[in-house]
Amino acid sequence: MQLEIKELNYKYPGSVGDVFQQLNCQVTEPGFHALFGPSGVGKTTLAKMIAGDIKGFAGEINLQRIHQVLYTYNLERLPGWCCLREHLDSITPKSNRQRLEDLVDSFGLQPCLNSRFAQLSLGQQNRTNLARYLLQDFDLLIMDESLANVDEITKEKIILKIKSLFPERCFLYISHNVVEVSKFCKQILVLRSHYKAPQAVSLQGQDFNGQRILKEKDLEQIMLEIVNAA
Amino acid sequence: MLHRRVYQFLIIYFIGFAALMLVKYSLNLSDYTIPGVSEIWTTCRRYFGLYLMAVLNTLCVAILGHLLSICMATVVGIIGRLTIWIGSFIRVAAYNIQAYPIVAVAPIIFILLGDGLSSRLLIAAMICYFPLLLSFIGILSEPVKEIEHFFESTLRMNWRLQAKIRAFENIHKLITVIVGSATLAMVGTIVAEFIAANAGIGYSIRIALYQSDLAKILVALFLIGICTSVYLVFLEWIGWLVKKRLGNI
Repeated sequence: MQLEIKELNYKYPGSVGDVFQQLNCQVTEPGFHALFGPSGVGKTTLAKMIAGDIKGFAGEINLQRIHQVLYTYNLERLPGWCCLREHLDSITPKSNRQRLEDLVDSFGLQPCLNSRFAQLSLGQQNRTNLARYLLQDFDLLIMDESLANVDEITKEKIILKIKSLFPERCFLYISHNVVEVSKFCKQILVLRSHYKAPQAVSLQGQDFNGQRILKEKDLEQIMLEIVNAA
Repeated sequence: MLHRRVYQFLIIYFIGFAALMLVKYSLNLSDYTIPGVSEIWTTCRRYFGLYLMAVLNTLCVAILGHLLSICMATVVGIIGRLTIWIGSFIRVAAYNIQAYPIVAVAPIIFILLGDGLSSRLLIAAMICYFPLLLSFIGILSEPVKEIEHFFESTLRMNWRLQAKIRAFENIHKLITVIVGSATLAMVGTIVAEFIAANAGIGYSIRIALYQSDLAKILVALFLIGICTSVYLVFLEWIGWLVKKRLGNI
């Protein structure tokens, strides 16, 4: 499983400045990886390019043994004409039925199942949205701030659950939270402004899976590296 | 208790009526030009039943025309939302045709179909069709990305789901447009009856106009206003039920 981005150049139609200039980076193994960087640097744009939502760029995005890419972001909504249970039932493939109950429990969605999407808090909405993507068949899931507005404890529980449920899948987690990125992610792609070279720097995160004790010093070291790289 | 639409109409009608009487008595106009209150009351008692039936006849045709135009606007709106050439063609055609006054086409319909139900129905439908169509095309061709993204990514999107999402998200707008176009349907039917009919309140007004009988016209206007208001109230109630059922309120 490999995601390779080679000499990517892109600017938005009608804009003067480049978003990407000779961007190179790669993810070579499955796991929970991060795409980190300051606001406006092009994380969402890159995610949409990988997902195939943005075309017309120069350079290459090569996907090896990644057939199905899904991109989810935190502003998505579910249709309002039915309750969550009905929606989740309708969009879950038969082969993933068992996963549905598991995710509902671990994402803390049980009390909301009979509610409609608009009746949920922002955190519950984001958890529901992420859960329905995890119920699909995918090789790479790009989570663009998908856990925004979710409290830290629940967020940790969800990330650890994802890591344990999908060890063979690839995730790209877009977040501005340097602590969670350093703690949970295996590889951290730090995206920088196009006038910095190289535009992407790859760092190793702690890849915490809840089964070992984290060393505070190591975590601080990674956090420092990320901040310096950005 | 009267619905606000009905009492708003009553207030406006009686303000207009009072203004007419003020003109009559201040300018000392004859009863032939503007009849007095007693004459209007006598006409009202004599023709109320007849005109009520005529208004109900008109209202039935207006409702049929309205339903017809809603169905046509839905179908054409669904096709017009497409990004391929047929969608663009329908959008451009709709914008161009709606700029043309449909009333001007009414005599052609009269010549082709003669007077009767079909002409009234067609003219009524056409007059309220284009405003509906433009709104339907606008609503159905506007993507709701934050909902549609999931279905597109997972290859579940089809035209029915897309139309359902867009209609649901804009249900308030749709209901407002449908209620608004009901008045146009009524106007269209009455216009059709002026030109080409052998029944309906427009036909009765035309006869009253030949007789220069303002009392009859005032009675007819009163009944048209009341019946249209009741129809609008009914449509708003249906809209409220739909929104309640869909959990949109």
